[in-house]
Amino acid sequence: MKSSQRAALFFLLPSFIFVGSFSIFPIVESFRLSFYRLILTLPWLGQKMVGLENYTDLVSDPVAHNAIGATLIFIAVTIPLELLLGLGIALVLNQGFCGRGLLRAVVLIPWAIPTVVSSQMWRFIFNDRYGLVNFLLFGADSSRYIAPLADPYLAMISIMAAEIWKTTPFAALIILAGLQGISDDLYEAASVDGASSWQKFRHITLPLLKPALLLALLFRTIDALRVFDLVYVMTQGGPADATNVLQFYGYKKTFAEGMVGYGSAIAVTVFAMSLVLSLAYLRAFKMSRLQEKSP
Amino acid sequence: MSTAKTISLFLAFVLGVHCAIVHAQTTELRFVTWRAEAPEVWDQGIADFERQNPGVKVVREIGPQSSTQLHDLLTQKLKNRDTRLDVFVMDVIWPSEFASAGWALPLDRYFTAPERDKFLKAPISANQYRGQTFAVPLFIDAGLLYYRKDLLEKHKVSAPRSWPDLVEAAKTILAREQDPQLVGFSAQFKQYEGLVCNMMEYILGNGGALWDETRMVSALDRPAALAAVRFVRDRIIGEISHRGVLAYEEPESLALFTGGRAIFHRNWPYAWAVANDPNQSKIAGKVGMTPLPGFSPGQGAAALGGWQFGISRYSSRPDLAWRFVAFMTGEGMQKRIALATGRAPTRVALYDDPEIKGKFPQLQSLLATFKQAVPRPTTPVYVPLSNIMQRYFSSVLALPNTDIDQRAALAAREMNRVLDLLRDRQAP
Repeated sequence: MKSSQRAALFFLLPSFIFVGSFSIFPIVESFRLSFYRLILTLPWLGQKMVGLENYTDLVSDPVAHNAIGATLIFIAVTIPLELLLGLGIALVLNQGFCGRGLLRAVVLIPWAIPTVVSSQMWRFIFNDRYGLVNFLLFGADSSRYIAPLADPYLAMISIMAAEIWKTTPFAALIILAGLQGISDDLYEAASVDGASSWQKFRHITLPLLKPALLLALLFRTIDALRVFDLVYVMTQGGPADATNVLQFYGYKKTFAEGMVGYGSAIAVTVFAMSLVLSLAYLRAFKMSRLQEKSP
Repeated sequence: MSTAKTISLFLAFVLGVHCAIVHAQTTELRFVTWRAEAPEVWDQGIADFERQNPGVKVVREIGPQSSTQLHDLLTQKLKNRDTRLDVFVMDVIWPSEFASAGWALPLDRYFTAPERDKFLKAPISANQYRGQTFAVPLFIDAGLLYYRKDLLEKHKVSAPRSWPDLVEAAKTILAREQDPQLVGFSAQFKQYEGLVCNMMEYILGNGGALWDETRMVSALDRPAALAAVRFVRDRIIGEISHRGVLAYEEPESLALFTGGRAIFHRNWPYAWAVANDPNQSKIAGKVGMTPLPGFSPGQGAAALGGWQFGISRYSSRPDLAWRFVAFMTGEGMQKRIALATGRAPTRVALYDDPEIKGKFPQLQSLLATFKQAVPRPTTPVYVPLSNIMQRYFSSVLALPNTDIDQRAALAAREMNRVLDLLRDRQAP
């Protein structure tokens, strides 16, 4: 008993060390730094404990407000669309047809391409002179070409489009796994009872898919909160700060401006936001399960 | 002892000796740079340096092309005191920051006053911080105005001497050409560092400043700066440019000009060679170049740009690093780079060099512009200040209904907060 416990501990040790050094330590360190004023380019100011000053600054920083707003809008628009499209793709891929295996692989391509590469591709697509979007909209009539990345609203929409293209396959993958877990017996029974396709979808597929949908929602939300590379490559936060999402703002503060304390406060805020959203989802997840059990 | 053992022992011995010899023989000098415009010239120069310094191997790490991204890479390395970094290229706005942070090595011990006097003054002063010199300039940039000589001649318009003139000239030509493809002006108005250079040229050309360096307060909310920004929004972008410029950095704006789709164009000196190269440009031979105008004649201001070499304070071989920097910024190397790329050298003597004069006759006429080019104010908190300014400029240009006065007041307040950090400094 004792020795087996010791063995268990021994085998767990590597993962403890791994999680501790790559996950817990950075989070704790970010928390610690967020209470200091630390500016790399002004070393003579030293590392001064300032309590909550970075956070009170954050609360009164209009740029941070704008960044939080941009991030939340980004999440609110992209995630529902990703899940809807993902659901559609998953339903199609769940049908038996010739070439399904190949199609399943093809659908995953956008997700497999490194984001920096696909962002660069999207930057070209939205180019104001030789971009595909302009060509599709206006053909050769270049006098009517628009410049999506030069307009604050269109730039945000462009980034959202790239994000949806890139991550819908991920949502589709999770939902497809959920679909495959639903037993065919249920559909057969429903057919015997004379249910229409819509009724089957509404009363069998959707309820049983809830866990998969919630899981996709959870992953996508955490991921979208940290959106960075698309912005970095496509707009650098502009124009007019329209695409200056929180994570990019934090990056600029920490790495470009050397304001490590303030940047850490932003990082902690992102962390707190994703924690709160995750907990809320998990709660909803649990409740939905309870509801299913009680008739 | 078995044969296998003997053989493996022997092999290990040979390998060990070999490694030891290789290590003893070569000293590596690590150099972080961008992809050069004339890579063959750099390769050759570095090979020459290695030949002159037997046993030295220069290991190049090619970083991102964008100044901002290269800055992030370098500051990461320097912040972590990476000893595998000896020499690096620096944008003209970095030296005071790198100096203040203790990342760049002061070079006065090597780079003495008589040697410094052989360089143009503006880039040298941009490389100094609190009386010490932290970098050696390689080439200099200054904002210039390019124009379509053929179109101006065709419509009998003379090269503009002020910004309002330029707007009128562009409108006249646009009205007569009736070409839907043509725009009046192309420049760099994306939210990035280049936006600060562009806007600074209008503000200084109107007698304003980005910030007041004696009182250390922002000057963006003063009338001269406000009027200049309003002019850019309402007249330059509003009347003669197209909104695409709000997403343009140098390459995109130059492509528009070399594609024959812009009458006027603001860029750095390298654009001259590109615009006149028939392989890259539809308007080769039809290009004119002049100093940037101001708001009244003779008031024009050009932003100073350019690149320098710096040495890391954590380098374990500063003497060798200096030899490399001295070689790369020496007359020979600067001349080769100038001849290959048309980049403007920083050594004054090269402006009288017959070969350079023969190949790039315009360089000498630009010497006056280079001498007067205005550096962006040097301060260790340049990056945060620049980010505030970029945000302000981009928001008033991209959102035509914003209240400039109010946005400027906001930006000025934010800048003053950053500048205040320098006030309570206990000088080290």
